Amino acid sequence: MSYSTFNQEQTNPLTEPMFLGNSVNVARYDQQKHSIFEKLIEKQISFFWRPEEIDVSRDRVDFNKLTDSEKHVFISNLKYQTLLDSIQGRSPNIALLPIVSIPELETWIETWSFFETIHSRSYTHILRNLFTDPSEVFEDIVINEQIKIRANDISQYYDDLIFYTQLWQTHGEGEVTVDGETYNVTQREIKKKLFLCINSVNALEAIRFYVSFACTFAFAERELMEGNAKIIKLIARDENVHLTSTQHILNLWQYGEDDPEMKEIAEELRDEAYEIFMTAVKQEKQWAHYLFKDGSMIGLNESMLCQYVEYIANLRMQAIGFDAPFENMRSNPLPWMNKYLVSDNVQVAPQEAEITSYLVGQIDSEVNASDLGDFDL
Amino acid sequence: MTKTFKVIVNGGPELAVDATEGTLLEALEKHQLEMHYHCRSGFCGACRTKLNSGQVRYTTEPLAYVRKGDILPCCCVPESDLDIEH
Ligand code: FES
Ligand SMILES: [Fe+2]
Ligand SMILES: [Fe+2]
Repeated sequence: MSYSTFNQEQTNPLTEPMFLGNSVNVARYDQQKHSIFEKLIEKQISFFWRPEEIDVSRDRVDFNKLTDSEKHVFISNLKYQTLLDSIQGRSPNIALLPIVSIPELETWIETWSFFETIHSRSYTHILRNLFTDPSEVFEDIVINEQIKIRANDISQYYDDLIFYTQLWQTHGEGEVTVDGETYNVTQREIKKKLFLCINSVNALEAIRFYVSFACTFAFAERELMEGNAKIIKLIARDENVHLTSTQHILNLWQYGEDDPEMKEIAEELRDEAYEIFMTAVKQEKQWAHYLFKDGSMIGLNESMLCQYVEYIANLRMQAIGFDAPFENMRSNPLPWMNKYLVSDNVQVAPQEAEITSYLVGQIDSEVNASDLGDFDL
Repeated sequence: MTKTFKVIVNGGPELAVDATEGTLLEALEKHQLEMHYHCRSGFCGACRTKLNSGQVRYTTEPLAYVRKGDILPCCCVPESDLDIEH
């Protein structure tokens, strides 16, 4: 089952499953099995932005006014987000492209990953402005224990899927021994790994960012680090599109709208999927604890953050067919968060870079008769 | 022209919602209900609501996955009286 960059067989992408059918050959979008992915591509591309467009220069002054514990909160979150986007900028491509089977999903994966690389570049933009040499911050990401625990938990599902896919694509199904270890490679086993991997990614996109988002926006509520907040607002908007895509994949499987074997697997591994989510919730709460180990910040403390994680987890778990696990956290403990998560904040002047329609407006050069006024030829 | 429907949320009192004035989400906010939302434009799914009875019409095509029996109030208006759980 070796991978071909152009599968010469005549296949019908309208009858292929999302993953692990025939590999995609012609990148065509005139007909689609799951047109939602094409729509998500369009949405995501319409949100295109560049970190350099956002002026973060004032943040340097603000940063120097922060207390040490607030600096810890700010920098730690940037490190964690840098980790998450480092993983997301490559992993959907490496893990999912070799096994994807419909063109619109293949292109969605590439689009999604590309936007994660914009996020990564924006962290460098932010840090370069704060420090003459941001190396120390970046270098700590692979040393910091708190970040390493999370990195391991996220990357293991990707790595496992990638490894089994490689064995399958080089040896086919059956027992394969590598470095003295024997692996039983079957397509069903790979599908299980894929299912767990998408659940882990969904948890990442759906809740892992929200503790740091909350801190960023809590600073912005105090009119601090507002350049950073503008960038994070754009990132949050992208993450909402990403999470919709992973929710779609999971729901298409479990409601039997794609591969029937994946529907079986979704039932079989339901408890494990639940656990993946709950582990992410637990880790995020531990992260909140780590952030505030030296003291809270105005407007936000550990327990409020943990409540917010539970509130978000309820919404996200219901979206993929679970009951809300935190029954007593039905109302939003941080209502001010929502104004930063709205996709278009129309009250702001259009020349502000965070307005989504602004960039698009530059391209969409519609001309009305009235615009021309008394222009004579 | 107004087009007013009765909307019951979480088994509460009947609220009057004019379908010609903004989305269902906006209408319920005007009634001082705490609504869940993020994007307010149909792609994040945070406003997901259970529709017990009635019909809605989408003014923007939702991109979030809408499970059977659910609606996204940020991008729809009522087309009949509604009973919802939010
Ligand atoms: S608020 Fe995002 S889909 Fe309704
Ligand atoms: Fe990202
Ligand atoms: Fe993402």
